[in-house]
Amino acid sequence: MRCHDFVPRSTRRAMLRNTACGFGQLALTAMLARESYAAPDMKAGSDLWQQPHFPPRAKRIIFLFMWGGPSHVDIFDPKPRLNEDDGKPISPETVGGEKPVLGNALGSPFKFAQHGEGGVRISELFPQLAQQADKLCVIRSMHTEGNAHGEALLRLHTGQANLVRPSIGAWLSYGLGSENENLPAYITISPPRGHGGVQNYGSAFLPAIHQGTAIGSAETPIAQARVSHIGNSRIDHNQQRAQLDLIQSLNRQHLTATTTDRGIEGLIANYELAYRMQTTIPQVMNIEQETRETQELYGVGIAPTDNFGRQCLLARKFAEAGVRYIQVSTDYTWDHHKKVKEGLIEESAKVDRPIAGLLTDLERRGLLDETLVVWGSEFGRTPMVENGDGRNHHPKAFTMWMAGGGVRGGFTFGSTDDFGYRPVENPVHMHDLHATLLYAMGIDHQRLTYRHAGRDFRLTDVHGNVVHQIWA
Amino acid sequence: MPWYTRFIAAFVVALASFAGAAEPDTADFDDPSDPVAGKNHWAFRPLERRQPHASTNGVNWSKTAIDQFVIAQLEQKGLRPVPDATHVDLVRRVWFQLTGLPPNQNDISEFLSDDRPDAFERVVDRLLASPHFGEWWGRHWLDLARYADSNGLDENFLFREAWRYRNWVFSTVNAGQPLDRFVLEQVAGDLLPFESVDQRDRQRIAAGFLVIGPKVLLGNNPQNQRMEVADELIDTIGRTVLGQTLGCARCHDHKFDPVPTADYYALAGIFASTHVMETRYMLGQQRPMERLAGLGTDGENADDAYELYWRQQPQVAEKKSQAEKVLETIKQGKTEELTALVATNAAAIAEGARATDDPDRSLDQRIAAQTAFIAEIATTLANPPPIPPRGMIPTDIDQPADEHIRVAGQFDKLGERVPRGFLAVLCDDPRIAIPEKQSGRIALGEWLMDRKHRTGQVAARVLSNRVWHHLTGSGIVRTVDNFGRTGEPPSHPELLDHLAQKLIDSEWSLKSLVREIASSRTFALSSNYDADNYAIDPDNRSCWRANRRRLDPESTRDAILQASDQLDLSPMDSSVWYLGDQATAVGPNTVRRRTDFRCRSVYLPVIRNDLPDLFEAFDFANPQCATGARPNTTAPGQALFMLNDDMVMDASDATARRILADTASVSSDTTDVRVERMFQLILNGEANDDLRQSMRRFLLQTEERLKSESHPQPEHRALAIACHALFASSRFQYLE
Repeated sequence: MRCHDFVPRSTRRAMLRNTACGFGQLALTAMLARESYAAPDMKAGSDLWQQPHFPPRAKRIIFLFMWGGPSHVDIFDPKPRLNEDDGKPISPETVGGEKPVLGNALGSPFKFAQHGEGGVRISELFPQLAQQADKLCVIRSMHTEGNAHGEALLRLHTGQANLVRPSIGAWLSYGLGSENENLPAYITISPPRGHGGVQNYGSAFLPAIHQGTAIGSAETPIAQARVSHIGNSRIDHNQQRAQLDLIQSLNRQHLTATTTDRGIEGLIANYELAYRMQTTIPQVMNIEQETRETQELYGVGIAPTDNFGRQCLLARKFAEAGVRYIQVSTDYTWDHHKKVKEGLIEESAKVDRPIAGLLTDLERRGLLDETLVVWGSEFGRTPMVENGDGRNHHPKAFTMWMAGGGVRGGFTFGSTDDFGYRPVENPVHMHDLHATLLYAMGIDHQRLTYRHAGRDFRLTDVHGNVVHQIWA
Repeated sequence: MPWYTRFIAAFVVALASFAGAAEPDTADFDDPSDPVAGKNHWAFRPLERRQPHASTNGVNWSKTAIDQFVIAQLEQKGLRPVPDATHVDLVRRVWFQLTGLPPNQNDISEFLSDDRPDAFERVVDRLLASPHFGEWWGRHWLDLARYADSNGLDENFLFREAWRYRNWVFSTVNAGQPLDRFVLEQVAGDLLPFESVDQRDRQRIAAGFLVIGPKVLLGNNPQNQRMEVADELIDTIGRTVLGQTLGCARCHDHKFDPVPTADYYALAGIFASTHVMETRYMLGQQRPMERLAGLGTDGENADDAYELYWRQQPQVAEKKSQAEKVLETIKQGKTEELTALVATNAAAIAEGARATDDPDRSLDQRIAAQTAFIAEIATTLANPPPIPPRGMIPTDIDQPADEHIRVAGQFDKLGERVPRGFLAVLCDDPRIAIPEKQSGRIALGEWLMDRKHRTGQVAARVLSNRVWHHLTGSGIVRTVDNFGRTGEPPSHPELLDHLAQKLIDSEWSLKSLVREIASSRTFALSSNYDADNYAIDPDNRSCWRANRRRLDPESTRDAILQASDQLDLSPMDSSVWYLGDQATAVGPNTVRRRTDFRCRSVYLPVIRNDLPDLFEAFDFANPQCATGARPNTTAPGQALFMLNDDMVMDASDATARRILADTASVSSDTTDVRVERMFQLILNGEANDDLRQSMRRFLLQTEERLKSESHPQPEHRALAIACHALFASSRFQYLE
């Protein structure tokens, strides 16, 4: 099934047969409808899966989050001028810096080359990814606010920092639901616990079901990570089924006694869903069933790629199983205030092969067209030196890239000045990125709203412009 | 045209398209933010005393004035109240609603065997006098106060002293402090006169309400931070006390409610003239943090000494590392270098180790002197002074001042300066003067609850609606935090005014109002279904029955622990003392908030962004903003928690052991007796035949199976699994 097969205003049966959402959405919508007496406005988002605002280009998103802020001028945004001026002060007038003194330029120690037919520039740090250059749409003109990680992370994930707002995955879950009746719509693999923590995948005022389901956390190796409360080491499978049957018979007796009660009906449906999730999630998470070749493709079982390789492989499995928004986070390892060279060599070695493997695997399974892969971080790093051999935080300009999901591959969009300090061509703000990601999923960011505390809220608040030039 | 106009227009269109939602008809107002026209909005009108008009039958049905208002509406809509709740259901209901705890078997039997006409009122009075009343109703307030033990947002620093505010709320509610004073102390407790240090400290701790909000801590422009803090306070107080979304007027005149931007900045001036933050040394840096102040007679000095230690700590550490270098130099006998060091770095060299000291000293003696010196520094470093008793306490800034309007809410775009003051829509007199050199918080606290002004009357409506919401499960105004034009109008306007007037007449006594409502016949209705009523009023807006409600997560846990005889009912101070300064650290975090205490759930750690799993799953209040009505969602995490959580299973084991012990001497059909006991302990009631049969069958089958698997304790194990099932069932989780 292709991602443009949405059938607007279809009958229930036709929809079951035809839509990309399939049965799971029905179950989910039924669940949602039962949800809350306190939220009579649940319907706001629920028409969307039936009739998207635009033809969706992607059915799901995998966001690869490099926590800490990789240096754009060392990876995707080559700046010869920076090397020429290495050690010399960067003049604030040249780049429009607000401070009287910006600091001295730090040239990049890494060689850049053009790759693929599109000639995308990638440094030697990502040799495997470079071979997939024609899949990448590199946006070099990203910018955001927040000089510290916490604020920038919250802006990246929720659009806001000083107020608690739903995360982008929660908005998508709310808007589209899950494609799989046994899985949540939003999964976050190894999320950061600091810098906003749960808030970065929280549902805020959206119903709790839209919160991201966390698998482990950034500092734990993914091989040891579990979804909390999924599975029981004390009660075996058969015994638990028998116990659940008892619970449900008690519940049904209660429901019969009440004649009708949406709360109890919801609770009964909920136990069945939980029980199925309990079976499905460990199945999806079992990467041992994958062939040796596939595991190696991701670098599983090989230092130093094992951990991120497992995370990426899990992401593919969840994508395949119908999860809408999957985030994969590195540990807090990209914050190179010192020794940016050594740091980048070490960190890129952990993720290059897994990411290249993910793109290859998605493509050969026919999933890449309908899966938008996004790579990025909360901000970039300064062209100026810090601590002799490091770089500081830099929200004014940085690079992200996308692949699959209908984007134009082998394409570079936007540019920065000679130093990589500010975007000069086609700047893309974080709000624009959010608008664009929703657009990719068939959603108008101005129309996906939720009413809370007397007004309608949306992911992009009063901002956001869809970037239209990046589509194939 | 300002930048936001397009958005607002789109917003109004979106609102208008909203099926079934109350839509503010903005066409009625030339300017919705006009405070003069706004006085006509129902919530801002003076309280009215009106008589209910019920038939004779209705009057006979009624027990209290509340019932007369309720029955009058029921009759008018052709509805009939369902029968009263059974005594067993009622006693469970009142226990949970007033204390958050289940009744025990004695409580139930006592009530069931008391045939005095006022037996139920006696139960209510007993519960109002219980210390657990203040814990539970204090917890309702903490939802509004966005209480938490950590900052949340970008840098989740621990609020080590927040528990003092939490316990102040509990004890103050228990003491029956009038609500107007309760609010005043939280808005301005640090500024109020006192007669003893103890009273001073209590009032200061109360004002922790202002300090406890979440703040963006790192990389924030200080001016912006000041305005954000003011905004957070305006929003919290506006919602909590007045049911108004004042935050909307930060960037533009309120689009629906009579709050012009000038009013917002009149309030902002008050909070911008208040310090709720201070710069303190922590984790190696001077940082903007929550403001702390010492408690007790010597509190200030103790706090200063403590802070000084940490400010000096880096220098002391540096001194130690220098002293170690010196030691190396001595050991190597480099006299010249040592002499040079004495000149440049005298502080890092021990007396008796210097080259200039007595030349007869041996090298060993010098080494010993320097080693002892280093050890002394190490001891200082390893033994920070104990944290003195401190509270989260605000203070006025040195020179309180009026604020400028910020154009479009941007902190650096100054507009006209507005005198500090209050909402014009609620001020019949000209602006109340704020004494020079004061932030205006005392005047604000008094104005908020001043019954002679309409503010006090609005506050009485908002607060009594909150009490009704908690006791019945649904507000008379369901949008409990929004009494503005985008909120819902009251289902029973006369009843709401009646309750508000009662609250004021009782000198703002929360307990009187709870007693008033709990003693009504309306409170005592059953939750029975009735097809005719349901066809007319499916949402039970007219109160023809009691709302069936899911237990709050705190009650769920307390009741599970209570059934297993593991709950420790004594109060608890801090439950986060073992945590580091970052409540959720970046990087490997070996110390995480604990939930394995036996205390009541209201004392469990509330770490923003790291709530206990149970709280997260079962719709605990979001501790980053004022929450008057917790969400009520159904999500698989709840079922997964009940099926697989260790605490639930441990308690099920313990409950099973308790049942076995309680029924050990029974000689007849033990299974029946055990099932009976299980229902008593877990459901606080008796089982019907169907339930008893299902449970009995399950127990026998499970025992059989366990025996066939040679389980060492089949009876206990089967019983434990069954208890677990009963905890997971809707009957346990719901209140009739």
